[in-house]
Amino acid sequence: MNPLLDQLAVAAIVSGALAFFVVRFLRKRAGGKNCGSDCGCGTSKAGKVGR
Amino acid sequence: MSSPATISAPPPSRDVTRHVAIAGNPNCGKSTIFNALTGLRQKVGNYPGVTVEKKTGRFFGSHGEAMELLDLPGSYSLQVRSPDEAVARDVLLGRQSDTPRPDIIICVVDASNLERNLYLVAQMLELNIPIVVALNMVDVAEKNGIVIDIMALREKIGVPVIPMVATKGTGLIELRQAVSRSPLPSPAICAQMPIVLEREVMTLAKQLPVAQEVARGEALLLLTLHEAALDDVTHHDRAIIEATKAAQQRLVTAGIDPISAPVDARYDWIGGICAAAHHTGDSHFATSISDKLDGWLTHRVWGWVAFLGMMALMFFCIFTIAQVPMDWIKAGADALSKWVEGHMAESDLRGLLTDGVIAGVGGVVVFLPQILILYFFLGILEDTGYMARAAFIMDRLMTKAGLHGKSFIPMLSSFACAIPGIMATRTIESRKDRLVTILVAPLMSCSARIPVYTIMIAVLIPGHSSMQKALIMLSMYILGAVVAFAMAWLFKKRLLKGETPMLLLEMPPYRLPSWKGVALRMWERAGLFLRRAGTVILALSILLWALMNYPKPANTEATKSEALAQSLAGKMGHTIQPLIAPLGYDWKIGIGLIGSFAARETFVGTMSQMYSIESKEDEDIGPLRDKMIAEKRSDGSPIFTPLVCIGLMVFYVLAMQCISTVAIVRRETNSWRWPLFQIAYMTGLAWLGAFIVYQGGRLLGFH
Repeated sequence: MNPLLDQLAVAAIVSGALAFFVVRFLRKRAGGKNCGSDCGCGTSKAGKVGR
Repeated sequence: MSSPATISAPPPSRDVTRHVAIAGNPNCGKSTIFNALTGLRQKVGNYPGVTVEKKTGRFFGSHGEAMELLDLPGSYSLQVRSPDEAVARDVLLGRQSDTPRPDIIICVVDASNLERNLYLVAQMLELNIPIVVALNMVDVAEKNGIVIDIMALREKIGVPVIPMVATKGTGLIELRQAVSRSPLPSPAICAQMPIVLEREVMTLAKQLPVAQEVARGEALLLLTLHEAALDDVTHHDRAIIEATKAAQQRLVTAGIDPISAPVDARYDWIGGICAAAHHTGDSHFATSISDKLDGWLTHRVWGWVAFLGMMALMFFCIFTIAQVPMDWIKAGADALSKWVEGHMAESDLRGLLTDGVIAGVGGVVVFLPQILILYFFLGILEDTGYMARAAFIMDRLMTKAGLHGKSFIPMLSSFACAIPGIMATRTIESRKDRLVTILVAPLMSCSARIPVYTIMIAVLIPGHSSMQKALIMLSMYILGAVVAFAMAWLFKKRLLKGETPMLLLEMPPYRLPSWKGVALRMWERAGLFLRRAGTVILALSILLWALMNYPKPANTEATKSEALAQSLAGKMGHTIQPLIAPLGYDWKIGIGLIGSFAARETFVGTMSQMYSIESKEDEDIGPLRDKMIAEKRSDGSPIFTPLVCIGLMVFYVLAMQCISTVAIVRRETNSWRWPLFQIAYMTGLAWLGAFIVYQGGRLLGFH
């Protein structure tokens, strides 16, 4: 594999992982009401539309 | 949480025609009806206090009209004692700015406990909101020999009464039709208060800055508050509070107790209804079975034997039944790793995929079967009604720690995950007790600790029987519980002093577990676990891989181990080494500790990544357990000695290591003070525990 492409691909993936945490943090701050986790306690499902 | 009652409710959304609230006593089937009407899967269980927050869903009436359904926490009366009951009261009185006052209340009544449940109905009727009574569990009432005359009940209460068995879907169509009726009349009947009291209520109601329809209910609630409770009221001006106190004084002068008179009036009204509509037959048989079971399961000796026996069985199954699917997942991850290696030339990208993504995520996903077995057992305990019995037998121990048995349900829920456990503390009336329970709940071993315990036990006693491994794991759970009690005792003695309240807990009837419900919960947990593995754990694994691989060593001849030592993660591990050296840990374990600060299960993934990176040198990727056993210090002695393994388990029993729990404690305590204190004390405790194990063990001649 081209070393430059290799390093670019790695940099993109690592940046993506970092961006994931930043976006998650910002969304949770904006969310307010949600329990802030994916624990299944149900709070984050509030407002979900049923049948 | 509560806001001034004068705040106007937001206008209803365009397509929602009505807002319907489901209210009732705890454990009477509100969430089951909510799920049946909306098709959602809100958590249900056979013990009081499963729902602690309002939940919304949408359903359609008989004519296709969209309605918003609000599932409220259970409440015995509108004179609230705990934060979860306050949510129900505030919504019904229109005090919550983000929730419109309901247009209709579905008041769920447990038919097998009619008299007690009717008290809340009596209060609801005073709120001037149209009500439909859902008379649930009529099958249980029949089994207990109770005959309810539905027509007489309708006539006496003056609102529609729908007999139901929500778990079987019986009565749902009728309930939907009743709610869809337009217009639904406001209740015309309610308990008759003494004339003098009624006059004071109406006078006070006129002074309240609230909507006319809720004024009477609000005034009645104010008048029945004790002086101390009145002083704590924040949603009304001081003038209103003083007017209430003056009205109370006038009532006392007139010979009427403002607090007990409305209660007496409601019970007189209930007595009349029960005399006309409620007939008790021979309930000897059903009661005796329940009593016989309780005689064993709540016995001061056999109760403990049964509890510990159930826990031991659970951990035995975790180690035996889960092994086969765990081997499959492990083999799958290895095969995937080999496939990637076979199809890609050696490069950093290949390393990231195999050592970062596959080793990191695969190392955690492999524990899914064990976590599902844990949820299977917890689901059965919740459905059968055993949770309340466990709380009862724990009460003696809890009282010694300064808490009451009710705190044990949040703590038992924390075996699954500390977050719902901390949410469940809302059922605790005393603020100080609630805070103490929140502070100690994360000490109970949650499912995320299972991967750490499993790998450490495997390194500690490779090749031993599942029963021995299960007993070690059980001892870690017991250690967490014992330390939680000890810390609760300390906090109650020093930090949050207060009286130990008496336990008042409703024992739900024993029921057969709903296998569909248990299976659904396991399915949901599997989904959540895999989603977490595919998002948070994946992202963490990638970042940790980068930290373990960059910067590259200046010397191109450096070995993989030297490169790891010079990486950012290696430098971090070396930085904290002086702190962890007294615990017998090297810098690599330090990397694992840092990597798992946000999520403790990442420890295994991090160790898996680390040894996977190193192992490429001799192209021998053995199981993580073997790699850890073979790991040596510079002097040639093994790193993972029995003392280090036990110390690491103790560290993870006591350490916070969960960023989601920190977030929920912040939300529930409404400040950063308590979560920061919790991180500090738990980390200190974890370090101390591991230090005592390692250094104490060495002093005693162990290694």
